[in-house]
Amino acid sequence: MSPPVNAGPQTGTGTPPGNVNGQAIAITVFSTVKRWGVPWLKALVFNEPKLLPQTLLWLQKLSFIHFARWTLVTELPHNGAPQPRQKLRHPHLYFESNFNGGWEEYIDAFSYVLGPGMTAFWGSSYGFPGPVPTAPFKAYIQTSDLTLVASHFYAAYPESTVTMIEQSLELDGYLDELRAKVDKLSPDEFVEAFDALLAKGQRCF
Amino acid sequence: MTKTDDARPAVTADGTPIELADIQGDILRAYGNAYDCTTYVWIGLTGGPQAGRDLVARLAEEVTSAAPWGGGKPTHHVNVAVTADGLRALGVRPHVIDSFSHEFRQGMKDRAERLGDVGRNDPEHWTTCFTDGSAHLLVTVNALTPKRLDEALARLRSVITETHGHTIVDEQAAKMLPGSREHFGYADGFAQPAIEGVSEEKTRGGGVPQSSGRWRPLALGEFILGYPDEDTRDDRERRLPSAPDAPLGRNGTYMVWRRLEQDVARFRRTVSAAAERYECGDEAKLRAKIVGRWDDGAPLSHYPDAPPEDTFDGRIPGANDFRFLDDDVLGAKCPIGAHVRRTNPRDALGWDGALSFRHRIIRRGMPYGPELPKRATQDDGQERGLVFACFNASISRQFEAIQVQWVTDGNVFGLGHDSDFLMGGEPGSGRSMVIQGECPFYLAPQDPFVSTRGGAYLFVPGLDALRALGVGHVS
Ligand code: HEM
Repeated sequence: MSPPVNAGPQTGTGTPPGNVNGQAIAITVFSTVKRWGVPWLKALVFNEPKLLPQTLLWLQKLSFIHFARWTLVTELPHNGAPQPRQKLRHPHLYFESNFNGGWEEYIDAFSYVLGPGMTAFWGSSYGFPGPVPTAPFKAYIQTSDLTLVASHFYAAYPESTVTMIEQSLELDGYLDELRAKVDKLSPDEFVEAFDALLAKGQRCF
Repeated sequence: MTKTDDARPAVTADGTPIELADIQGDILRAYGNAYDCTTYVWIGLTGGPQAGRDLVARLAEEVTSAAPWGGGKPTHHVNVAVTADGLRALGVRPHVIDSFSHEFRQGMKDRAERLGDVGRNDPEHWTTCFTDGSAHLLVTVNALTPKRLDEALARLRSVITETHGHTIVDEQAAKMLPGSREHFGYADGFAQPAIEGVSEEKTRGGGVPQSSGRWRPLALGEFILGYPDEDTRDDRERRLPSAPDAPLGRNGTYMVWRRLEQDVARFRRTVSAAAERYECGDEAKLRAKIVGRWDDGAPLSHYPDAPPEDTFDGRIPGANDFRFLDDDVLGAKCPIGAHVRRTNPRDALGWDGALSFRHRIIRRGMPYGPELPKRATQDDGQERGLVFACFNASISRQFEAIQVQWVTDGNVFGLGHDSDFLMGGEPGSGRSMVIQGECPFYLAPQDPFVSTRGGAYLFVPGLDALRALGVGHVS
């Protein structure tokens, strides 16, 4: 057996307080893209999202991930004169995402559920160790994430996660249905309708 | 470890020998029901580093390893674990201490908010040795009879005196209640993770659920440091998970110890009052819904309507082999918020258990305090509860993920901020439990049933590592 190697961070959940707002945690990662990565990312990843259907679908199904966005940055944003236009010598991949729950569990999902998709996005970045083992991958993400602290981070519903908001909206729909007919119901019918609402909405509480 | 005298050497899946003689006992396999007299002795190393090392060296001679006993049952077992404050008190070099995990070095008290140890659970209500840094060593003594326990404790006290200046800062006796019950009245101790090369007989129901319908055992490195874990088992570079510097990391593990006080009378009152409105007063069923198992341990997933007629035997192969997605997505059999479905969701989070298989723990809890008389519904002023003890290779990934994401919060399961009903909640917090079904039942907001009264994060060194600490090799 090879000698013990510290295969990653000593602990996860290493989120700087500035990247936490209510239930949401922000993560930002910049990585330098190798030359061949530019056409690859432009052609395959960004312009043909159909090529990554599984990853994108699953990303949506992982309800603790609020959103995830990858952007290819080839030049610095230009705000007009006197700022000179500046192309980057090396293009960068800019990743930002919001999620709730634990940092480690978030990256675990990337490694174990979305592994191939992660290689498509980050495989052309310098230093990308591969999605598994997850410990070096966590270290890779964490190095960048720890240094990038959000200066603006706003949550409209700080006490709620995206899952909770979706559940509330679903329940609201059932309540609307009940409200629409409530005037016409006898007391007995109301009890029945209310029980039906509780049964239908039991996954929303 | 074991009562079997299987002569084959234990190996992990890749053929690595498991160094049982260097791993402390009671981690991978329980000493067994025969050793039902337990005392946890907490020691403060107040006599200085040298006296501390002398004590550790003496204790190292007494410690039981996981190697097969051979030649009959020992009358008792001694095991030793150390806190980060303990390592400092032993004079371990700072850079060696820095090689331990962040959460271990920080300690349980300083992570109270994250763990839900606020309000009634706040460290201000804990025994002081867990908040003032004086709990250094934990010596666990397991014995066959009360008499053997007393003898072993007397011996331990004389070792402590002979090595000078140490203080016993807390002593907690614990004992399984008749029928292997804990204080609320549930049988405990059925489900444990199945580990490759160690406990593969538990694989069905104890391993990782596969989409094929099969299960597979977990890698040893999830529970013992120095071996491949689930992350590195297939690593082409054959890296090992991070561990403290040699020789400490090898064959050691992390331990979580928590004193959880149980308000049994309140639990009984709350559940029986609620049961008046539940399925014609079916209190036994309501109790089962809260945990996910009937009082005798039979899982709701197998016995959704009534417990088996014969007493449930958890040792029968397949007794723990259940999942949730096959036919119970909605939680009509085992509620989504039931204690066992939260603490080990098996396949419930989807993706072949990919979001839960790295959050498993080996539990070695024991009830403490006298039993509340059978039908009593008023408190008798006696302290009682559960010494929650568990082993894992990463406290943050395993114990804390369960405690924080699954027990204290419910969002991953679609249960909002509801916490585990079995633990109870702050009055007025409005958290409740939904018992899913055709006619769902809403359990009213929780009362405080369980309160944290102390605890610590510990490291359980291998035997060589313990001796190295004793002679000061890392000081
Ligand atoms: C006083 C507090 C507690 C009581 C009375 C209690 C009671 C029980 C009972 C009766 C069982 C079912 C028996 C079995 O499956 O072996 C169980 C299982 C379990 N408990 Fe607890 N428990 C408590 C606290 C905790 C805490 C704080 C955690 C973790 C943070 C935890 C983790 C587990 C796990 C992992 C299982 C096994 C689930 C499985 O693998 O199916 N328990 N507990």
